[in-house]
Amino acid sequence: MLFNSLSFVLFLVIVLALYYSKIFNWTNKKRLLLFASYVFYGLWNPPLVILLWISTIVDWVAGKKLAVEENQRKRKLWLLLSMCVNLGFLGFFKYRDFMLDNFTSVVNSYGYGYQAQPMDIILPMGISFYTFQTMSYTIDMYLKRTERARTFLDFALYVTFFPQLVAGPIVRAQDLVTQFYEEKKATINQFIWGLFLLTIGLFQKVVLADTLLSDTADTVFGSKDILTGLDAWTGTLAFSGQIFFDFAGYSTCAIGVALMLGIILPDNFKYPYAAIGFSDFWRRWHITLSTWLRDYLYIPLGGNKHGVVRMYSALMITMLLGGLWHGAAWTFVVWGAIHGIYLVIERMLRGKIHIKINAFSGILLALLTYTLVNITWVFFRAREFSVAKNMIYSMLSLNGDGEKLLGTFDIVKVMSLISILFICHWVMRNTSMKEVSQKTSPIVLGIVWAIMFFLIAISQGSGEQFIYFQF
Amino acid sequence: MQLKQTLIIAVALSVIGIAAWELYWRDQGKIPDLDDDKNLWAVQRAEVENASKNDVVLLGSSRVLFDIQLDEWEKETGVRPIQLACAGGSPIPTFHDIVNYTDFKGTILVGVTPGLFFSTTFPEAGPWKRPQTRIDYYEDRTYAQRLNHWLSLPLQKNLAFVSTSEEGWSDDIDLKSLLNTIDIGNRTGKPKDPPFYAFQYIDEDRNNYMSERTATDTAFANSIQRVWKFFIMSNTNPPDKESTTKFFVDDAKKFMERGGNLILLRCPSSGWLKGGEDKFLPRTEYWDTLVNATNAKAYHYEDYEQLKHLECPEWSHLSAPDARYFTTELVKIMKSDGALSNSKTN
Repeated sequence: MLFNSLSFVLFLVIVLALYYSKIFNWTNKKRLLLFASYVFYGLWNPPLVILLWISTIVDWVAGKKLAVEENQRKRKLWLLLSMCVNLGFLGFFKYRDFMLDNFTSVVNSYGYGYQAQPMDIILPMGISFYTFQTMSYTIDMYLKRTERARTFLDFALYVTFFPQLVAGPIVRAQDLVTQFYEEKKATINQFIWGLFLLTIGLFQKVVLADTLLSDTADTVFGSKDILTGLDAWTGTLAFSGQIFFDFAGYSTCAIGVALMLGIILPDNFKYPYAAIGFSDFWRRWHITLSTWLRDYLYIPLGGNKHGVVRMYSALMITMLLGGLWHGAAWTFVVWGAIHGIYLVIERMLRGKIHIKINAFSGILLALLTYTLVNITWVFFRAREFSVAKNMIYSMLSLNGDGEKLLGTFDIVKVMSLISILFICHWVMRNTSMKEVSQKTSPIVLGIVWAIMFFLIAISQGSGEQFIYFQF
Repeated sequence: MQLKQTLIIAVALSVIGIAAWELYWRDQGKIPDLDDDKNLWAVQRAEVENASKNDVVLLGSSRVLFDIQLDEWEKETGVRPIQLACAGGSPIPTFHDIVNYTDFKGTILVGVTPGLFFSTTFPEAGPWKRPQTRIDYYEDRTYAQRLNHWLSLPLQKNLAFVSTSEEGWSDDIDLKSLLNTIDIGNRTGKPKDPPFYAFQYIDEDRNNYMSERTATDTAFANSIQRVWKFFIMSNTNPPDKESTTKFFVDDAKKFMERGGNLILLRCPSSGWLKGGEDKFLPRTEYWDTLVNATNAKAYHYEDYEQLKHLECPEWSHLSAPDARYFTTELVKIMKSDGALSNSKTN
């Protein structure tokens, strides 16, 4: 089920009505949320709920054993079981065809005429998110960083909680399971603020991403022609806006819906396009994945405690795997690799160049960071390297004359919107929506809210899937 | 934060804004209508799964969609056909789907619009891809998508401003379509597509009919004619008679061998479009060859005195009254021939 759909509106109304009715005690309310979460997922593809159940049961059992087992070897085996099941699902459903393609290419490069049979397996929605979330529980249990979930119901709800099930935020057990121990009820202000966040999220997705930006990005990246620099930049900037509004929109909806239930989810985006440098960017973009990769990959690989070579290697491996997490294609690996290289260069320069950040230098550095981030988006969006190469060459004016693909209005629309986006991120970089709202008059806030709702209503999105569902 | 006050203001302004928007578009002549989208099609396609030998399935392009009126057909035969024709598409993919993936043994009427039927079997070409996309959607649609469709129907039926269309008509009024009407110069230097306005209404079971404006407003009908001219003149692909005929005939034989009743139908066309069809896709070379190869019952409108003089306001489809007449007369002819033998007729 998608947040930007009529079925979700009906679903949410029913869930909220039952959740706040007097007929259920807290345990039954949790059962209701768990059942609703399975309905939320199952309305897309009922049989794939079984994968959720398997992940839940395996990690519940592993966590239970890790809580009492002292034998280090056995503890490792329980952790290994959890990782094998979760990564096994991910490998089979997400990476099987990719691995098979690469295996076929390698084998055939030695002259074998091997023909792989594609399995055409459906990718379970949100598998990358919920497997990472549930794995974090067993890893934390293994490292004794968290306590065991008190009941199976609490744990199952942690794995399956519908607002963040399919596209995050990826939440740690200690941040979410513990909220299920005592009855939660949103205050009036929390409820209304949650509704406001849901509206903002839908506005970002339906109006900004799908209505104003997606067509331009699709047109440019769907073209096989060599384009002018202006067209290539417009398409790339449009995609940078589209993916931000699409993904941040989902996270904002998720946080809003959870808040309406009295549950607090962590922020996933903090105005990333105003980042100064790439470490700053990853502290602001998909924060819950960045911190997951930091805690469960970068630090175990050595982090910054074992010298620069190991640190750079850990950084590169983390970013390469982070790229691969996003999609089973080499273009995603290259996207991760470029980000890894950016981070390595930034760390190398950190001790050598000292720039005092003021308003002027800050905005210039933020612009530089955003420009370089856009180069990476080309690889993220392009389905083939040939398209990415043509785009990069056009953006760097290395292609000579190219085709003019976009109309003047498209270019004006994208450039205006992206400029506003960048300025908003810059203005908001050290504050939060809540802080700004608190300083805004209720009338102005009400008018802004109404405008967003009106634009959502007249956009009438056709229920486009969120980009991150495919990851 | 005084969020209660904020919420009240937001709700009040939203209601006022949306009501004003709705009233404005009604004042501009918009009326609530359904979109002939993949959801509407998929619901009808699902009907085929449980259809009996008495049932009738209509396949074809927009001509079958406009020219066969379900009420008249039902009045004449007692059976309401399942309308699966797809505008701008070849009927071959849908026929292939029904023959190979259902055990339907009733009557299938296949409309033959020469320019589309004999166009291609290439999966990525428009006339093939359009119906195939709907077939794929029917196969893959989720329960959530089905629910969304059912929930959207009352909104589409009652609100004029709810008008997103799969076709992307030039007079759609969703935000994206409105923005697409803004033009600043011609940066690309390419000729612009002529505006293509919606010229029909469709019911929930896909009974489709031409709008009165198209039949009575010559200037409006001319705008549709310009679109047909543009599509035809910009199409550089030659017809692929051999592949299309062979593909269809293989499925036709399979269908008739299992007891299915196949009927071919050539609906009326007029003016410049008819002239082009006669010149580039002549009846003797295309229609007659197909009829002979399939050995199915076949009806060409030009063979019947009561049908041959019908005029299409925009060259390709009949007005609503003419479509009702055409359907009634056609069914009478088919009944007298015993062509609807699989169907329990009155």
